[in-house]
Amino acid sequence: MMQRSSWFRFSTPSLVLIPVAVGINYIGKLFAGTLKLPLWLDSIGTVLAGMLAGPAIGALSGAINNVIYGLTVDPISFVYGLTSILIGLVSGIMASRGWITGWARALVVGLAVGLTATAVSTPLNVWFWGGQTGNFWGDALFAVVLAQTGSVWLASFLDEVVVDIPDKLLTVLVAYALFRSLPKGIKQLYSGRDELETLDG
Amino acid sequence: MKTFSLYVPRDSLIHRINPIDKILYTITAIAVPLILPSMAASFLCMLISLSLLAAARVVRQSLPVFAFVFLILCTVVLIQGWFYPGNQTPLFGVEPFVFHAEGLMKACRIGIRVTNVVAAFLLLVLTTKPADLVEELVRRGLSPRIGYVLDSIFQILPQMMNTTRTILDAQRSRGLETEGSLWVRVKAFLPLIVPVVMSSLIHAKERALALEVRGLHFEGQRTWLREKRTYPYSREIRGGLLLVLTASIVWRILG
Amino acid sequence: MSKIRVEHLKYRYPSSEKLALDDLSFEVDEGEMIGIIGRNGAGKSTLCQAFVGLVPHFYRGAYGGKVVVSGLEVLKSSVSQLARRVGIVFQNPFTQVTGSKWTVYEEVAFGLENLGVPRKEMIDRIDYALQLLGMEKYRDRHPFDLSGGQMQRMAIASVIALQPEILVLDEPTSQLDPQGSEEVFRAVHRLREEGMTVILAEHNMEKIARYCNRVMLLDGGKIIDFASPASVFSRADLTRYGVVPPVYTRVCRELNAKREGSPHFPVTLEEACEVLKGR
Ligand SMILES: Nc1ncnc2c1ncn2[C@@H]1O[C@H](COP(=O)(O)OP(=O)(O)OP(=O)(O)O)[C@@H](O)[C@H]1O
Ligand SMILES: [Mg+2]
Repeated sequence: MMQRSSWFRFSTPSLVLIPVAVGINYIGKLFAGTLKLPLWLDSIGTVLAGMLAGPAIGALSGAINNVIYGLTVDPISFVYGLTSILIGLVSGIMASRGWITGWARALVVGLAVGLTATAVSTPLNVWFWGGQTGNFWGDALFAVVLAQTGSVWLASFLDEVVVDIPDKLLTVLVAYALFRSLPKGIKQLYSGRDELETLDG
Repeated sequence: MKTFSLYVPRDSLIHRINPIDKILYTITAIAVPLILPSMAASFLCMLISLSLLAAARVVRQSLPVFAFVFLILCTVVLIQGWFYPGNQTPLFGVEPFVFHAEGLMKACRIGIRVTNVVAAFLLLVLTTKPADLVEELVRRGLSPRIGYVLDSIFQILPQMMNTTRTILDAQRSRGLETEGSLWVRVKAFLPLIVPVVMSSLIHAKERALALEVRGLHFEGQRTWLREKRTYPYSREIRGGLLLVLTASIVWRILG
Repeated sequence: MSKIRVEHLKYRYPSSEKLALDDLSFEVDEGEMIGIIGRNGAGKSTLCQAFVGLVPHFYRGAYGGKVVVSGLEVLKSSVSQLARRVGIVFQNPFTQVTGSKWTVYEEVAFGLENLGVPRKEMIDRIDYALQLLGMEKYRDRHPFDLSGGQMQRMAIASVIALQPEILVLDEPTSQLDPQGSEEVFRAVHRLREEGMTVILAEHNMEKIARYCNRVMLLDGGKIIDFASPASVFSRADLTRYGVVPPVYTRVCRELNAKREGSPHFPVTLEEACEVLKGR
């Protein structure tokens, strides 16, 4: 029988976490719109999935999120799939290395995720939109920096930074707040590390 | 049941093409302008994608997406026209907002590229039923478990959104402030999202139990209730796309 | 031949310190219908899931003893293997819908597709299961467009299509209205006539008394009693275990109306009438 490597053998709880993660992403975006927050907040679920079930499920949630978003709302989201994957990956890796044991550390995770997102999105922006992000304030900054320095990359980087860093900081903090509020019984389902102990003898 | 995708049911030849062939087309349409960075190549790809959209009779449904893209492209025209680093030839306008020929050219190139990429994706998205796409991918070796995840999202997502709306209404009627200063609105966010996440995760756990006892974890060969569909012109499409890709690579190397 | 054999079963959830199941031993014969009763947290659901392998394979944790169902040892078998011998239906009809299918017919096919049942046989089995559960008229409906009772019968049909020898029902009607509940119990009754062995965890004691031939009383993960409904429901100390006996038993206890030559009180309406008329 064909046996795939264990990295790809996700447990059923981890798998059904993915639709929930995508749903949370949508809801975050919906709320950010309803509450007229100047941020996207559309990757809370991806980060939470990474925190709960590790980097692989985090990355998969990110990828599937953008595929589904592309199929249901906005085809441009296919272009930014790579960013989503890395958001899930980085939050999963940092969570599993013990970086979600307090608010201060969660803040660091937020920064790391924000910088990663910026690093991946900037080249995509430069290729696709000629450097812009489509966010009004970010693009205004892009215009100013481009006019002053003449550097597309610097302008695009700053455009992305001013939007992504606050957004990902808040996203990770919200995900961490959710993570903390979950009961132990639920978190344990996704850890997947426990062995079966025996009570015999 | 409300559907939750951009798919437009139509009886066109493009709708009947194998979803995987459409993915391959999308990849080719995006890759060729990357291989051949001339404006003519991008323009040609864009024209082909747009006419395929017309052939599939989904132009009207693609307009909202293009409208959004067009809005951003307007800002691209302004910014590149004024501030493109290679600007030399002023055309019209007053300092510092003078449009230059090079910048407008650059904006034009961006516009064509964006339209091409969006049209290529739209062709796939508007003419393919997601369930057919997933089934074809699983038959081609995608893990059935990932296939399940993709399929189920289309039903689980609308349910979560419904729960959210219920909670949003309930919290509002209990006097939660969703208007006011930025800080007030940020603080309103958590009490809204916590109950949804909690109930969704509990439901997800129960669903996981039900899926386990229906053999989702089974290692052996799976079968299908639906008979395998046959799609027209699959060989021709794949051959043609391969030819186009090879030709553009050869052109790039020789040119 | 016993369908289920449980020997010194102990189980503890991973995030918990105390045993959810504490040294259970019993057997169940073919064709029996067993009721499991006890207060909230007594361990009913945990025991139900121990028959189908979710305990311990899904949760992990700590496990001891042995459970054998239809000749398969649970600890040494996968949940998918066990699914062909023993099926389970849970409390909430909504969360048992897979969410990946667009008709009732396809929904029932889900498990068969996963387990690799050939297409022709699949169709026969689905038709049989839908017909047995009285669901064939809804076969083209969307799974979420059903009433609670219909959804729960669809869940039972999905399990029956896998042709198990044992059916475990964990409070299958607690979230249904009386009509939906009645539909489900009628369906279960039909399955019993087909020779199915049934395990039922339930808070409605009238239903337990009416349908089950034996009742297991659990408390704190231990078996307090495992005997006929009449014997269990006639216990004077039932309320100590958080169980209120069927209303007929309570009335007859007040009137001290026992069956002739029996130490137990009546547990169903028919028995109560019979005994009370005879006085
Ligand atoms: N996933 C879990 N993790 C940790 N402990 C659990 C878990 N599920 C149940 N328990 C505990 O195990 C014990 C038995 O629970 P179980 O759900 O089997 O009871 P029950 O008899 O089915 O109750 P109810 O009538 O409320 O359904 C309880 O103390 C409960 O708190
Ligand atoms: Mg229970």
